[in-house]
Amino acid sequence: MALLEGRKVSKSFGGVQALSQVDFAVERGTIVGLIGPNGAGKTTLFNAVAGAFKPTSGRIVFDGADITGWPADAVCRLGMARTFQVTRPFAAMTCLENVMVAAVNRHPQKPRAFIESFAREKLSFVGLAEMAGSEARQLNVIQKKRLEMARALATEPRLLMLDEVLGGLNTQEISQAVDFIRSLRDRLGLTVLWIEHVMGAIMQAAERVIVLDQGRVLMAGTPSEVVNDPRVIQAYLGDG
Amino acid sequence: MGGNKLLATCALVVAGMCVLPLGLGIYPQHVLIVSLFYVMMAASWNLLAGYTGQVSFGHAAMAGIGAYTSGILAVKAGLHPWIGVCLGTALAAVLGFALGALCLKMGGIYLSLTTLAFSQILHIIIVNEYAITRGTMGLQVPGLMEEYSKITYYYIMLAAAVLVLAVLYWMIHSNLGLNFRAVQNDEAAAKSVGVRVLRVRVLAFTVASAMAGFAGGLYGHYLLLITPEIPSLDLQFKVLAMTVIGGMGSFLGPILGAFALNILEEYIRVYGEYHVLVFGSVALIVARFAPNGLIGLWRKFRPMKTRPAVG
Repeated sequence: MALLEGRKVSKSFGGVQALSQVDFAVERGTIVGLIGPNGAGKTTLFNAVAGAFKPTSGRIVFDGADITGWPADAVCRLGMARTFQVTRPFAAMTCLENVMVAAVNRHPQKPRAFIESFAREKLSFVGLAEMAGSEARQLNVIQKKRLEMARALATEPRLLMLDEVLGGLNTQEISQAVDFIRSLRDRLGLTVLWIEHVMGAIMQAAERVIVLDQGRVLMAGTPSEVVNDPRVIQAYLGDG
Repeated sequence: MGGNKLLATCALVVAGMCVLPLGLGIYPQHVLIVSLFYVMMAASWNLLAGYTGQVSFGHAAMAGIGAYTSGILAVKAGLHPWIGVCLGTALAAVLGFALGALCLKMGGIYLSLTTLAFSQILHIIIVNEYAITRGTMGLQVPGLMEEYSKITYYYIMLAAAVLVLAVLYWMIHSNLGLNFRAVQNDEAAAKSVGVRVLRVRVLAFTVASAMAGFAGGLYGHYLLLITPEIPSLDLQFKVLAMTVIGGMGSFLGPILGAFALNILEEYIRVYGEYHVLVFGSVALIVARFAPNGLIGLWRKFRPMKTRPAVG
């Protein structure tokens, strides 16, 4: 059974149908890319899955449990973590404290010393060890994305949902980031659902790709199936 | 600061506060007692506004709940003031819980307006229920002890303030404090990492209200006359000013602010109505030149102990 499954998920905001009847599945231990043109509904789907809001209709099933309409904190405790497209660090708290917030809610009974070293470990995992004592607001965009990654990892998720983590990186940094995300799966056994505009990265890292367009699933398949599909090309390039 | 050094500093400050009134006359002692009341009010309001971002205007109302509950029970039912103070604290906690739950889905200005409405409704009830509260005339209540003694009141208020501050310090520096600040910084992000945002917000409301009720109960039995001045917006805004001028969101800020403004108020009392003008000017100057309050100023001009790594 898939780790995460969406069944006919729809979401409308007033008259705007942001998602309609979206069916998808994310298998355990895979990296799944979620792509589509701007406004296709990718982040809306993320929000509906992670509990930021309730879908208008349809069901979301995580590891066999129906989590439709669950609040985000409950979804997180069940083992799902996310990053935000526009980063949302706890700006006035230090990087270490940012990660500690996630850690104390995963391990509420553990002593402070454990929480702190656990959080430091996550920070060095994403390469932010030296910034532990700095306020999150002092970080640049790329560091903020890393901080969010560390914070998400500190919740010890089974499913990690990444929302455009490669924005602003150069080619070399992108390939490092791709290796990093792969290692999350290979070393930590995480399942990854990943929204990304940098198509090359998705094509390298993902086993499956789901393409959204105008709130619908245009197609789902392996990266090579997707890039060669005329519908996908048309969705991105428009009607010639 | 290490645990031992911190404890030693606290012990020193408390010891100093114990000795302080001995050489002073009745009037300065009175000013200190009132200051200690404001320390409790500002520090607990800071838990709401400074640590969870809920700018409540119902905090003075909660002090009023504490004062009137205890006062009315003492006058009408002959209950001992100490039991009354406990019941007043409990009622303030219950109302704080209810008000916090009511405001759960609200943020920013809506929460402020709802708590403002609560405060005004309570004020109107107290002014109009003359038979029970004696309205604006004020309710004469018995003192905390048989024989009136300024210095004993001082030590009671000091002990109460130390208790309130110790609980606040413990909360802020526990896991709860991390959750409080996360909620204030970004609710959606806090939720996404598993913080039970609703629970955290209601808890802050309940605890802060209980502390205001406790402070108000003691204060009423000190003044011996409870008037609608306690649950008034004047008092609310004074608490707000103390917290903001002292340094919202820091532990020491509201304590400094409470002493500074309350003592300042005594000095500018001679200007009559104009003392409000001085108050406002101080608030303006601090807001413009020291947005993080007195405590922020101090941190700015003190050599940094730990410099952030260069990134």
